[in-house]
Amino acid sequence: MEKIKTLKFSELENLLEGIQKPGRYVNHEVGTKSKDISKIADFSSMVFIALIFPDIYEIGMPNLGLPILYEIINKTKYFSAERVFSPWTDFEKKLRDSKVKLFSLESRIFLDCFDVLGFSAQHEMLYTNILNIIDMSGLKIHSKEREGRLPLVCAGGPAVVNPQPLSKFMDFMVIGDGEELTVKILEKVKTYKKSSKDKLWFLKEISKLDGVYVPGLYKFYYFKDGRISDIKPFLRVKKETVKDLNKFDIVLNPVIPNIKPVHDRFVIEIMRGCSRGCRFCQAGIIYRPVRQRNVNSLIEHSICGIKNTGYDEISFMSLSTADYKDIGCLLEGVAGFMNLNKISVSLPSLRVDSFNLHLAKLIRSGRRTGLTFAPEAGSQRMRDIINKNISEEEMIDCIKVAFKNGWEKIKLYFMIGFPFEEDEDIEQIVLLIKKITDTAKGILPKRNFRRFKINVSINAFCPKPFTPFQWVGQDSTDNLVEKFNYIVKNVPKKFVQISWSNPQASKIESALSKGDSSVGDAIEKAWRKGAKFDNWTDMFSYQIWEEAFKESGLDMNFFATREILPDEILPWDIIDIGTSKKFLFNEYEKSRKFSRVQNKI
Amino acid sequence: MKNQENSAGCKIRFKFYKKDEHRYLSHLDIVNIITRALRRAGIKTKYSCGYRPKPKINFSNPTPLGVDSFAEYCDVIVLEDIEECEFLSAVNLQLVPQMMITRAKKIDIKSASLSRDISVCLYCFELDVSGSTVNFINEFTESVKNNIKNKSDFSSSIFDLMVKTSNEDIIFVKLYGYVKIFKNLNNEIFKFNNFLEFFQNWIKKYNIINISYIKKEELYIFKDNTLKTPMEII
Repeated sequence: MEKIKTLKFSELENLLEGIQKPGRYVNHEVGTKSKDISKIADFSSMVFIALIFPDIYEIGMPNLGLPILYEIINKTKYFSAERVFSPWTDFEKKLRDSKVKLFSLESRIFLDCFDVLGFSAQHEMLYTNILNIIDMSGLKIHSKEREGRLPLVCAGGPAVVNPQPLSKFMDFMVIGDGEELTVKILEKVKTYKKSSKDKLWFLKEISKLDGVYVPGLYKFYYFKDGRISDIKPFLRVKKETVKDLNKFDIVLNPVIPNIKPVHDRFVIEIMRGCSRGCRFCQAGIIYRPVRQRNVNSLIEHSICGIKNTGYDEISFMSLSTADYKDIGCLLEGVAGFMNLNKISVSLPSLRVDSFNLHLAKLIRSGRRTGLTFAPEAGSQRMRDIINKNISEEEMIDCIKVAFKNGWEKIKLYFMIGFPFEEDEDIEQIVLLIKKITDTAKGILPKRNFRRFKINVSINAFCPKPFTPFQWVGQDSTDNLVEKFNYIVKNVPKKFVQISWSNPQASKIESALSKGDSSVGDAIEKAWRKGAKFDNWTDMFSYQIWEEAFKESGLDMNFFATREILPDEILPWDIIDIGTSKKFLFNEYEKSRKFSRVQNKI
Repeated sequence: MKNQENSAGCKIRFKFYKKDEHRYLSHLDIVNIITRALRRAGIKTKYSCGYRPKPKINFSNPTPLGVDSFAEYCDVIVLEDIEECEFLSAVNLQLVPQMMITRAKKIDIKSASLSRDISVCLYCFELDVSGSTVNFINEFTESVKNNIKNKSDFSSSIFDLMVKTSNEDIIFVKLYGYVKIFKNLNNEIFKFNNFLEFFQNWIKKYNIINISYIKKEELYIFKDNTLKTPMEII
């Protein structure tokens, strides 16, 4: 690539005519750090990477990982990272009709002019968007068919810890933390770009790094029924882990979106990993071990970040905020500044108990947002099976305190379709909701009780790779619908608002997340039939996916609802996530024991 | 909140533009960008009391998406006394060249709000008529005045309309639309998007295919029977 091609502003102006929310596609936000391409003399000694978030701007911008990599890459003199998001369907149509390739946000560089296209795969329902973006870049979607030495196409993030479903499309995948690994890879790209070596040489070179999986270097063998019989060579790829988070500064000058994103606030990661060990939770395993940031620097950075960005809200992120050992110290440390400057502090994933409620009160300075509980299951038996360590008394006690202190809105998260689930467990969900409404009735003044509402969100359980429940088959769609209907019918409707995830979409999610490389064919077929933005309820079409699996000669149930045998080779066995398969299986066995013990009583 | 009232605060009115890439941002986005820029600049603004405190900032009427504007106004109550030029440069440091403050002026703290005061908005439409004759331009000018200003559906929402030419290639149609209802005038609010659609169709019969540029040029307040800009009435 001698010259970088870009889209002129006047051309963009024409394309934006009649497009919804054109602010998604224009540059000049505050805080961008890409290199000014008009000042680059020698492109051959630079490496350009497109950091691609395969969903729209408003959803992609609040992502925590993207700004971290953006910052680290752009700090290096000879690397430049630009951002790319999925264009919404109206703009995609305009681009395709006008035969204009997709371009990056900052300098409007056409994607096929980059050296690396790096996708952030946050969940499985974005797979079709990923293919769509590769296609809109003017590149072949299959790794094998991309003949040029550059650009290289890769992906990272939680939806590639099982790399197989995307293996046909990616030159390589990155497993684990990106802070150190990204720089190592880009250094290799720099060498490769200057050399005359072929792509295979490069891929072999980076496959030596921990955390890099190159699908083309492996061969999978199958039994007739579709199970894997062998993987060769069986050299497992070790997940990359950053040992000390404190080595990497918090991004204090992030790009500030021009248009309103779904979460419009300054975000600080206080801890990575979670020590809870819920058996359904993938994040709990793949982000291990627990690493905490130093509290003093967090306090300093929080204040500095708010001053730099001008946000009026700060969010302390982690998988389980209450488990951060210095949470009290952190909140007390920032409370003065935040209250004085009318900054609201949000604590997502805060496990609520009476102690934390005190903290929340301290920080919110009178602002009462809703309280969120995630009991996940209705019965203690089921909470033991899934290892969700929260008791009913604890919850009710906390809700009592909350009601007395002015909270009125409660949100509850449940999952249905867990392994060993029985009718009684579903009945218990209803009973728990009733108990909470009764508690409210007893405490809230009549006037307030009238407008009392609980929001209940019900999700279908999807067994995920690298969890103790990875061997479990997902509950059938019919069962899930029946269970949900029972709950809707029996909860006190006056006070409860129920929302739930489409069980058909959950089935696709299961099939994709536990898929092998053959599932890639179904993803491709579904995309060719028009599937995209599959996580948007109004865009998702089950029919398309059903046809796509069928036409690929695949049985969706084989991946989604089948119980996997203990000794099977799993598609993701080639990845060493840091937690042994034996440990996971023991956890699964433990949950089975709970189901029996409690049944006898 | 009482101590806020007593402190040596002041109200600052500033004028800014948004152009090029920033013309694609909505009014709400612009409000957020300015609010955050004020915070970054360390300008201590007064906050509303109540459930969720919001800074006391008052913006002029929204500009349609996709239109450059050189007449965005904003009033903000600042808690500490600050020099106008100091304010301007501090906030501009936090903005990008596509959106900058051009003037800032202290005003009476009790002055009426912008959105209540502003009566007329001036839009300028640039029509590309390269290669046409003087006769054509004269004829077109007359027609615009007669048909659009006096006889169209939009007549009662137009305060005034002027046509100017420069070097015979571009015609400037300067349209003063009402943004406020006056009972004695029996007027209507000027609806930009409806007008644009109508106007784009209307110019077709003169073989003028495209409007090459549209901008919001100025806002006016009626004072003593004349139009004054929000900066002039101070």
